[in-house]
Amino acid sequence: MEKTTYDSLHQAFRQRVEGLKKLPPMEGRDKSIEETIEEAGFSRRDFMKWVSAVTAMLALPATFSPLMAEAVKVADRLPIIWLHMAECTGCTESLLRSANPSIDSLIFDYISLEYQETIMSAAGWQAEENLEHAIERYKGRYILMVEGGIPSGEMESFLTIGGHGKSGRAIAEETSENAAAIFAIGTCSAFGGVQAAAPNPTGAVALSEVTDKTVINVPGCPPSEKNIVGTLLHYLLYGTLPALDAYNRPKWAYRLRIHDLCERRGHFDAGEFVEKFGDNAAKDGFCLYKVGCKGPYTFNNCAKQKFNQGTSWPVQTGFGCIGCSEPNFWDTMGTVNEPLRDRLYNTVFGGLGADATADKIGVGILAAVGVGVAAHAAVAAIKPPKV
Amino acid sequence: MVAFAIHKELPMKTEQHTDTAEGYPAEITEEMEFTPAYRWQHWIRAVAILILTFTGFYIAYPFVAPAVSSEPNNFLYALMRSWHIIFGFVMIGVVILKVYLTLVGRAYKHERASLGDTLKPKVWIAQIKYYLFMGKHPHLKGVYNPLQTMAYAGLYVTFFALIVTGLVLYVHVYHEGLGALLYEPMRFFEVLMGGMANVRQIHHIAMWVVIIVVVIHIYMAIFNAVFGKNGSMDAIFSGMKWHKKH
Ligand code: HEM
Ligand code: SF4
Repeated sequence: MEKTTYDSLHQAFRQRVEGLKKLPPMEGRDKSIEETIEEAGFSRRDFMKWVSAVTAMLALPATFSPLMAEAVKVADRLPIIWLHMAECTGCTESLLRSANPSIDSLIFDYISLEYQETIMSAAGWQAEENLEHAIERYKGRYILMVEGGIPSGEMESFLTIGGHGKSGRAIAEETSENAAAIFAIGTCSAFGGVQAAAPNPTGAVALSEVTDKTVINVPGCPPSEKNIVGTLLHYLLYGTLPALDAYNRPKWAYRLRIHDLCERRGHFDAGEFVEKFGDNAAKDGFCLYKVGCKGPYTFNNCAKQKFNQGTSWPVQTGFGCIGCSEPNFWDTMGTVNEPLRDRLYNTVFGGLGADATADKIGVGILAAVGVGVAAHAAVAAIKPPKV
Repeated sequence: MVAFAIHKELPMKTEQHTDTAEGYPAEITEEMEFTPAYRWQHWIRAVAILILTFTGFYIAYPFVAPAVSSEPNNFLYALMRSWHIIFGFVMIGVVILKVYLTLVGRAYKHERASLGDTLKPKVWIAQIKYYLFMGKHPHLKGVYNPLQTMAYAGLYVTFFALIVTGLVLYVHVYHEGLGALLYEPMRFFEVLMGGMANVRQIHHIAMWVVIIVVVIHIYMAIFNAVFGKNGSMDAIFSGMKWHKKH
């Protein structure tokens, strides 16, 4: 990709969009995407503004906006199957339940109707049939988006769905098999998430553990609507998987840490910290590191894309990052509101060493060493070693 | 005049002095225990560890903060991090130098010889007995006793843990230049350790290992200086160690 000029990239996108146009649109829609957006009260101007924002987000120049607009209109050529595994539906909510439906959510709503347990009207046997039907009809063409961790091993049956009593894992394996692209939406399906936290009672694993195909991870608890839709539009335009980081997260969204993009970073480097919530430093918008911000250990673009249609994000509200888009963050990040230094280690020796931090253990061992040294020196003073 | 008697366990360079020449009693020999390179890297490393530990604790939890004012401030945290990273690289330099010297340096064959002693259970037992005031100091082939050799080996493993985790943290602070060069390999280690939070914690715990080993090391050095009577404490300053001729 290094040498690709914007011209040739533009050409490639154009071909891709033309190709998509030739595919039949999804069945059962009485309006086009354009009409749907218009009917929801968005003007053409609103739509184009949204398109330029998305174009910029994917690091493409403004000249790509018209093409992006066209691509969005043919998004219904890409059927989406969205599976719910062991999860809280928060990712779906993040996308669809904004105060006013955003353009992101409208588009998503429109194209994901193929199979989405939360928003589809079918239930019971019919729902299952719809899924089988969709897999069959769009074989090799659909995009699979999975929300939630997947109970596995002996605990596989903890997630059993539908009248046939299929395990979530079996469904995920089957659907992955025939997908054109696979996105793990949210930290649970990307890394296991809350149910995979120690001691992981349901044996939940990431989606990437149940299929050999490349899984694009879009972690976050929840990921922002922009990261979900952006990943989709990226695929729509490029037709290939995006550049991925060490954890298979798209680089355009997860290349930098929260800490690198944070508006409070100046205060961090200055050594200006909120000492406790509600103090003067908090009112001045100082850095939240000492009240437990995990931004330095977390890769995401929250500071740029924000949530709720760009209204705000955790650090902006004065609450530190909890590290939700990192693998095993429930276990590795320590307590919310407390710095990582105070992460607790489970060192229970019959209750003796419960809840020790690295520093406490270190000081403890140091004290023991001190006692040992003093004792040894005392003996040496009385009874010098033989030379 | 000056008689050159090659001492049985002479590490390298021997200068034997007689009382006529320099005023030493003739039955004591002085020998080079530590080369200048050895001594320099030792003390540079000691200073680096001191500074890295202080700034490291500050990075983990900034315990002092400048008073809030509207004046331009001195960017205390960035300053601490800068010194940490500067001495981090000093540390990397001397650790690599020392490992190189130990492995191939001609003057360091007695360090390598220490490995032989660690393979002899008898030497282990004698050494432990000595420290427990129950026996005489064993005769060693190398410069370190087995306990010492193992402690130092462990210390170097810890240094490498600190260096690797330190570099993972570094590439996410400075993305250009060396940071860019090391970025991909360091992300490999990041994934291996299970994310940045773990990297920071491993870095932090490794620091504690160093602190504890250093405390024991200083005590043992004093102990040997007081009771060993062969000037091993002097040696790390001047390089010379005293031996009774026998
Ligand atoms: C004896 C050696 C060292 C000690 C005792 C030490 C100690 C520490 C400690 C305690 C922290 C804070 C970690 C936490 O959040 O708990 C830290 C952070 C860090 N260390 Fe070290 N370290 C050492 C060597 C190194 C080396 C060799 C490097 C390599 C350049 C390095 C680079 C860093 C960086 C980049 C950070 C993070 C700074 C930030 O995120 O703002 N350290 N170190
Ligand atoms: S608030 Fe968090 S992310 Fe922002 S600068 Fe401080 S530590 Fe970094």
